[in-house]
Amino acid sequence: MQPYTRRRFLSDNAMGVGSMALAWLMQEGSAQATPKKLPKDPVHFDLTPKAPHFAPRATAMISLFQHGGPSHVDLTDPKPELTRLSGTDYTGDVQYSFVNRASKALFGSPWKFAPHGECGTEISELLPHLAGIVDDVCLIRSMHTGANGHEVSIRYFHGGIPGVLGRPTLGSWLVYGLGSESQELPAYLVLTDPGGHPVDGVNNWSNGFMPPLFQGTVLRPKEPRILNLDAPPHLRGALQEQNLEFLRALNQRHLEQHPGEADLEARIASYELAASMQTAAREALDISQETQATQALYGLDQPETREYGARCLIARRLVERGVRFVQLFLGGQPWDNHNNIRTALPGVCKRTDRPAAALVTDLKQRGMLDSTIVHWGGEIGRLPVTENHGETASAGRDHNGQGYSIWFAGGGFRGGTAYGETDEVGHRAVTNVLTPNDIQATLMHQFGLDHKELTYLHGGRDQEITAGREARVVTDLLA
Amino acid sequence: MISPSRCATVALLLLFALSPKASPAEDATNAPLTFEKDIRPILREHCFDCHGATEEKEAGLDLRLVRFQQAGGDSGPAIVPGDAEGSLFLQRIRSGEMPPGEAKVSAEEIALIERWISVGAPTARPEPETIGPGVGVTPEDRAWWAFQPIARPAVPETGDPSVRTPIDALLRAAMPDGLHFSEDADRLTLLKRACFDLTGLPPSQELRERFLADESANAYPALIEELLDSPHYGERWARHWLDVAGYADSEGATNQDAVRTWAYKYRDYVIRSFNSDKPFDRFIHEQLAGDELAGPIEGDLTDEQIELLTATGFLRMAADGTGSGDNSPEARNQVIADTLKIVSTSLLGMTVACAQCHDHRYDPILQTDYYALRAVFEPALDWQNWKTPQQRVVSLYTQADRQKAAEIEAEAQKVAAERAEKQAVYIAEALEKELSKYEEPLRGQLKTAYETPDAERTDEQKQLLAQNPSVNISPGVLYQYNQAAADELKKYDERIAEIRAGKPVEEFMRVLSEPPGHVPETRLFHRGDYRQPTDTVAPAALTVTSPEGEQIQFRANSEELPTTGRRLEFARWLTSRDNPLTARVIVNRIWLHHFGRGLVETPADFGRLGMPPTHPDLLDWLADEFIAQGWSLKELHRQIMLSTVYRQSSYRDPEQSAIDAENHSYWRQNVTRLDAEILTDRVLATTGELDPTLYGPPVSVMEDDAGQVIVDGQKRRSLYVQQRRTQPVALLETFDAPVMQTNCELRPSSTVATQSLMLMNGRFLLVQSAKLATRARTETVTELPAELAAVVGSFPEPLPPLWQFGYGGFDPESNATSRFTPLPHWTGSAWQGGGELPDPKLGWVILHANGGHTGANPDFCAIRRWTAPADGILKVNGTLHHSNENGDGVRGRIVVAGQGLAGEWPVQNSEAATAVESINVSRGDTVDFITDCREHVTSDSFSWTVELTLTADDTTIGTWKSDAGFHGPTGPRKPLHPGDVVRAWQLAYLRAPTQDELNSAVDFLQGQLAYLHAHPESLSEGTTPEDQALTNLCQALMSSNEFLYVD
Repeated sequence: MQPYTRRRFLSDNAMGVGSMALAWLMQEGSAQATPKKLPKDPVHFDLTPKAPHFAPRATAMISLFQHGGPSHVDLTDPKPELTRLSGTDYTGDVQYSFVNRASKALFGSPWKFAPHGECGTEISELLPHLAGIVDDVCLIRSMHTGANGHEVSIRYFHGGIPGVLGRPTLGSWLVYGLGSESQELPAYLVLTDPGGHPVDGVNNWSNGFMPPLFQGTVLRPKEPRILNLDAPPHLRGALQEQNLEFLRALNQRHLEQHPGEADLEARIASYELAASMQTAAREALDISQETQATQALYGLDQPETREYGARCLIARRLVERGVRFVQLFLGGQPWDNHNNIRTALPGVCKRTDRPAAALVTDLKQRGMLDSTIVHWGGEIGRLPVTENHGETASAGRDHNGQGYSIWFAGGGFRGGTAYGETDEVGHRAVTNVLTPNDIQATLMHQFGLDHKELTYLHGGRDQEITAGREARVVTDLLA
Repeated sequence: MISPSRCATVALLLLFALSPKASPAEDATNAPLTFEKDIRPILREHCFDCHGATEEKEAGLDLRLVRFQQAGGDSGPAIVPGDAEGSLFLQRIRSGEMPPGEAKVSAEEIALIERWISVGAPTARPEPETIGPGVGVTPEDRAWWAFQPIARPAVPETGDPSVRTPIDALLRAAMPDGLHFSEDADRLTLLKRACFDLTGLPPSQELRERFLADESANAYPALIEELLDSPHYGERWARHWLDVAGYADSEGATNQDAVRTWAYKYRDYVIRSFNSDKPFDRFIHEQLAGDELAGPIEGDLTDEQIELLTATGFLRMAADGTGSGDNSPEARNQVIADTLKIVSTSLLGMTVACAQCHDHRYDPILQTDYYALRAVFEPALDWQNWKTPQQRVVSLYTQADRQKAAEIEAEAQKVAAERAEKQAVYIAEALEKELSKYEEPLRGQLKTAYETPDAERTDEQKQLLAQNPSVNISPGVLYQYNQAAADELKKYDERIAEIRAGKPVEEFMRVLSEPPGHVPETRLFHRGDYRQPTDTVAPAALTVTSPEGEQIQFRANSEELPTTGRRLEFARWLTSRDNPLTARVIVNRIWLHHFGRGLVETPADFGRLGMPPTHPDLLDWLADEFIAQGWSLKELHRQIMLSTVYRQSSYRDPEQSAIDAENHSYWRQNVTRLDAEILTDRVLATTGELDPTLYGPPVSVMEDDAGQVIVDGQKRRSLYVQQRRTQPVALLETFDAPVMQTNCELRPSSTVATQSLMLMNGRFLLVQSAKLATRARTETVTELPAELAAVVGSFPEPLPPLWQFGYGGFDPESNATSRFTPLPHWTGSAWQGGGELPDPKLGWVILHANGGHTGANPDFCAIRRWTAPADGILKVNGTLHHSNENGDGVRGRIVVAGQGLAGEWPVQNSEAATAVESINVSRGDTVDFITDCREHVTSDSFSWTVELTLTADDTTIGTWKSDAGFHGPTGPRKPLHPGDVVRAWQLAYLRAPTQDELNSAVDFLQGQLAYLHAHPESLSEGTTPEDQALTNLCQALMSSNEFLYVD
């Protein structure tokens, strides 16, 4: 019996298949051109690395998604006018979500802002670590989704159309367009929160209408982060290799009787990947290999930051090993401060601020920031008026999809930038307004992809990440 | 935190999902443009919300009719036919001013509108004089395929001899040139396919042998009949229905995810219904209105009433946290919305949910339709007079049960009273005794304080008691004062519990029913918000399925029934000829489960956002035939499974594949992966572990050390495993079993590395593989078929264990070990002659991990024996140690089989390095480490550990240390036999291996045996190399594609 190697499998089978739901495949051979127009059936999909449309600035991205709507007027968007008018009724229109608890009383931020870095961008005292890296940060203060609801805006951010499910997420598009750099790890990984899945659950990393090959693979929020990764002690090593070799021979014989069955081929490859993951993933997830100093940088020595810090550090290790897109989520919407914002907001800032800033610092120290985009931001912001009838102690803020902030660092984004403006109280984006579609177009551009050229044939139409909606590459954000 | 946008979200997702509608550009080249066909869909999507759908028209502009457009609004006429440039409407759209928000009209659509105005804004027909409120339903909407009456097509004559049935004829006639049906699959494949499809289990050996031996033409039809008669048929098809019904054993909705103890009664009802081939229309009626069919309940429930009430469990499947943490109006309305989703996706094949907030933007489902449907359920699901799940259960107690329970309780109470009396006496006695330790007046004060009820005690009394804690005698501490009394009371408790255990067990059903005479009003909610009720809506069928101008209404209140009867009327309408949807939806689902793909690929969405049928004629023929056959599912299975299309081979013929790679035309059967439950069940059936018992409470699940949800020691079919929404069984979830949110309309079939990891390392398959290995050896095929026996060599006799522990002597004459006998007694840490030392026969001979003790004469030397697992050059290092001044010490010898003495080291209160540089050994050669007592039998305790390194061809095969390799008894080493492999093959693959396969399996096993012998650490505890090797082979078989897929 001739051994059936992975290399031979790949060359024999033209790398994967339409129905193949492997969440990744390995690179073999030279890069292929990104498909501009896909051929008609039968379509074969794979994860071989592909050359982008033009020279990229970034090759990987870590998205720190902040579900729930971080309160931009308390964090990144200082509004002296709001402070001045605090307590008076707002004269403009407000779009509320919770009408029953709505109020028009303006609510000035209880926290102080100060300029930081050489750029002098003003950041709230709640985010001292962000303040420390502000010269590397490209802050956008004029995001606009037009919709207040969480899911509506979340889906807009991930999939390109407000509220619409069933579309591939950003990570899916990137992996579809560029393939995977890692032979041993999924190209699109998701790190969820021990507190549970984010709002909208698995839709956050959906492959939508693309094959499951392009779906995000979820790492568990606690050890073991991948189930069944370890063989039982007695099988480890040579014995399991023999077993898999025998299994491969069984499957190969079966495949010869069922030629051209894509799913059978995919399953053969999935065993190969599972086997290589056993060592690669364990190594990648082992943050004990990091120095004391690095661990402290991410706050692993502090109870508040340990969990999120560990995930940020894992994200860096994954990107270092060729993972294309890593996204971190928070469970339970800690930024959704409808009530008690005075006590709740400092808590979530404390938990996330240091690790997020540490990630940028660490990537920079390692020379990886140039090619890695770090994204921080949620789907909406919060209203300048108070919720809960203005009770001071328990006051909160309702949803605001009209104007809010997000930031990027690295990957060709221009550090020290503060782009766009909301109105004088921070309700609506008024200057240089950007939508999630603009962000998607810009991110694709950084990866060397033209968002209009990278299409996927579905439902008889060539689909784009921006769904044919108005979208522009925002060159002002770029270095 | 709650999200108020949920309704809008649900609406949006349905609205924007990508539609397969033809692009406007394509239309432009064909028929002339009309408003109704070409323009209205664009306006419906973008404009009607503000300009037509509701009472208030923005800017006074109503765009629903061309007439209205010409009349215009506050800014004047919207369109001027023939003058596109002069039409305000077009200008506004072009500038992007309209519609407001992100969603814009596309350039193609704008061009289409421009052309349409330019050619005079034609309509398809004269516009009506008046128009009702809302978007309405147009003839174009009604023309959608799914709303057409079911029309039985003529069965075409194809002239193709491979055509067996009308299904074949319809498919064959629709095939493009160059395609034809494939040959029938071979009989084993057919058998497997039919068994897994109908029962979800592999065929028994008896059935397999009988079917394969039956050469008659009737063998296959008889097989189908036999499988349809199997009780496992109901289990398999119940699982499909439970997916759509959203079956779960927990309430969901809140973090508590409370357990639904009695949900299984509905599951069992579904199994029974499928097994009895209950007409599907009746099945629908029962599930939607079983309570209204049950008739008046007088006294005990009849069996039929129990069945009918259990059926309504279908309407209790939606997640419902109103009894477990969230009984808010939002939560109640969500239960109603989810129930409507389940009903509409399972029975109407329509996603009506988006019409909760406004008229559907693509399908002709009006917001009033949604609330008319809601009105059907409102009397039973009334959010303003809500019942929690606990309040909706119905006891199965009979009057007799109740009486018996009361009698038993009375008896228990009698004993309880007796017990209370005794307890009072004992406490009084204990108190008296305790108080006697005090002097008056304190004694009297304490007594008074103790006897005063807690609430009435003065502060002084309280303090007094607090200062003298031993006086505070309560039932809970009585045992500290009088153990005997406490024991006696405990006996009473046991007796009471025993008596109560005699009560009949009280079981419940989860039922949806209406309070008699309850006729609440259903109001349309503005934007789906229950806080903004508007018009009253009456129960009715979907407008689009009613004849134009006469919507089918359901009576608001039945005269014959104490309840409103709305659900019963609705159910009957569903299964009437007036409704073209339901029968199509059902036959499409059945087709889907036989071919892995529906004729409509979106089984829960027959609207514009779904996929159109690939074979509309066949779909209608099946639906019509289904109705004609009295909604018999079993008849439908027969129709499908006896056809040529079903029996085809799945072989992907290259020529046909070049024409239709995706098999849209059904020129071959599809290869499909087993569903998660079937995979698990197949494993259990293969290993012989499966308990085929039907029905009953679910098997509970647990979390393992890694937090992975597992079933401990599963034996029942997976259908019976508890399905908690928050605790999905990892194995099932990994293989795409639904984690129930609302319901599962269509399972994906994924292929991911986590599945491979699950099969490689997951406990379930490891345990089951060992069981299969055991079974294969027990049921080994002793006489191989001639064609296999001729070639296969036998396995070598198993080598003895790597290390053995015995006694014997060294014979200098022959330069060899004179005798080796294993020591008979294992103490748990040492081998010796017997339980007592010295042993009457063997004396002091002992071997333990690090050394031992020699016997009293040259025939009772302690011998540690190592057997070479392979050929090579052996190097020995070690240290022999004797640490006693008394006696003459011991002597260590290394003796190699066939070569004699390799070294000899006497030690006396000293140590020696026992190194041998290089010994040539062959597989199976023994190397004995013999220790004797020399001349004097005194103080002959020693330690001797050695390290062996075996090298062949410059490659180290292994290193072994005598202390690490020390072990107790091992199982008997039964040699493997090729028959074991054949049996494993038969069990897993339902066929014998081919000669090639058997050879490679034997090769594999031989390699494993060699490895395992050399690496005892690779044996899981208590197994022999033979067992482990065969277990590994079995694991590979059950992880392989032949096992996981049906072709």
